[in-house]
Amino acid sequence: MTSMKKDIYGLLAEFDTPTELVDAANKVREAGYKKTDAFSPFPLHEIDEALGVKRTILPFMVFGGGVIGLLSGIGLQWFVHVWDYPILVGGRPYFSIVSFVPASFELTILLAAFTAVFGMIALNGLPQPYHPVFNVPRFALATREKFFLLIERKDEKFNYAETKSFMESLNPQEVFDVEE
Amino acid sequence: MINNANFDAPIADINRWRTLALGIGGVGSLVMLISFLLFEDQREDAMRAWLLGFIFWGGIGIGGLGVLLLQYLTGGAWGVVIRRIAEAASRTLPIIALLFVPLALGITNLYEWTHLIGTGDKVVDWRQPYLSVEWWIARAALYFILWGVMAYFLNKWSLRQDQTNDYATAVKLGEDSSKFSGPTMVFFVLVVSFAAVDWVMTLDPHWFSTIWGLLFAVGWALSFFCFAVALLAVLADKEPMNRILGSRHFHDIGKLMLALVMVWAYFNFSQFLIIWSGNLPEETRWYLPRMEGAWGVIGMLLIFFHFAFPFLVLLNRNLKRNGKWLAMVAIFILFLRLLDMFYLIGPSPRIAGHGAGFHLSWMDFVAPIAVGGIWLWYFFGQLIKRPLVPINDPFLENAIKHGKEH
Repeated sequence: MTSMKKDIYGLLAEFDTPTELVDAANKVREAGYKKTDAFSPFPLHEIDEALGVKRTILPFMVFGGGVIGLLSGIGLQWFVHVWDYPILVGGRPYFSIVSFVPASFELTILLAAFTAVFGMIALNGLPQPYHPVFNVPRFALATREKFFLLIERKDEKFNYAETKSFMESLNPQEVFDVEE
Repeated sequence: MINNANFDAPIADINRWRTLALGIGGVGSLVMLISFLLFEDQREDAMRAWLLGFIFWGGIGIGGLGVLLLQYLTGGAWGVVIRRIAEAASRTLPIIALLFVPLALGITNLYEWTHLIGTGDKVVDWRQPYLSVEWWIARAALYFILWGVMAYFLNKWSLRQDQTNDYATAVKLGEDSSKFSGPTMVFFVLVVSFAAVDWVMTLDPHWFSTIWGLLFAVGWALSFFCFAVALLAVLADKEPMNRILGSRHFHDIGKLMLALVMVWAYFNFSQFLIIWSGNLPEETRWYLPRMEGAWGVIGMLLIFFHFAFPFLVLLNRNLKRNGKWLAMVAIFILFLRLLDMFYLIGPSPRIAGHGAGFHLSWMDFVAPIAVGGIWLWYFFGQLIKRPLVPINDPFLENAIKHGKEH
């Protein structure tokens, strides 16, 4: 057994097939590891469940963004047409909610869409110019034909020797040390 | 990919529903007929109530035809699992045409303009001969013929796909249906638009709205989706649908319901905004009675419960994935669809004088039940004629698998 490295980011296991990856991910979750990640050349729907990834809160953020857009649309028009500079148009009331709807609707869509795009980017931790997994040369194959499973050192259960032997028991092609 | 599994409809259950529907529909129709003949002063009420029932239930059938065209164009698992219901709805055109006959016979008791021809009413006279009884009936016949042609071919090819043993033929029949549906969709929406104008908008012959037809195209599609979800939720517990339906199917159809609820509100608001901004007497006269008293309350109910409430509720992912909950929302929307039709029909000017204010007849309750009973009886009769899914559709296996996924 190699000596414990201080500057290690985590352990990376390589698999040949998506099935092996999902099976391994299930065992990793059952073993109690939380700070994990999986890498695959194509989307695997089962992997979220296998790794115990929680559903994103993005929809609620988008809803909130929409509500803020709606209120700011109405608020802006109220400020302009009622408070700051009221002009009588065609004998209609200053606060004509009917004519406020299109602009408020557009702002609702705009802020909801912005929240969706930028919220998605932020929740994914992007932009991320550096990630330690690329220190493993074979990780480049994750975009082509290999499947990888990562357990980070930050995980509470992480113990270099134990975790490494546990990962080797999952029948990977190889287990790599990921340097920081 | 020929399936040997049995996908026949649960005939015993559906036949029970058929008998019940025919009983209720038959008694209701008889009550309507007797009331029409007996109460001469209520003939206009009777005709309007029948129109209400006809537009609501006929709309589900015609909406089914539209959704049938739509799913051939878009593809997708929801289209495969809903196709046989849409086909059965499209094959109810004969009974819809039959339910239309009372409207044609009683036309002078229903439409004010039939009494305004030649009375010096400039608008009605200028619209001759388009707005004449003969042409109105001839056009209705044409609408049914055109819809009938669309429904005929799609149903014919689908049946042939069921009967073939050859994979290539099955694929080709599906492709033919898709090719046919593209241009046909254009004509379908045009025919719906003309029909909606003829049947409902001419209740007020002096008023017009150019988005009117789309209100019905969208509304009828929504009606059909809601009806189909309610039916699927019931069938989901029984053979063979319990082997087919998954929560993702409901999820997909729920998303379409959400979209249509929004489009319904969008079109209605477009119409209102333009008329409100223009503020011209010839246009606002349609909304003025609809914003007063009980009609105004119904208008607000439609905004809150035909749009806001279903919109917010249908945003929820878990609700859309649960067939029973989604069906409850669907049935709720169906009631609001009926209220929406009542809101369009009810406040229109009456032949027997412009009796101001809210008017609700007991027949407004009986007629939709009567028409519904007869329509459902015929619909279920069509539904049991074929397996509940297109058994030779090349995408059937994938469509079933899709439903079980996330």
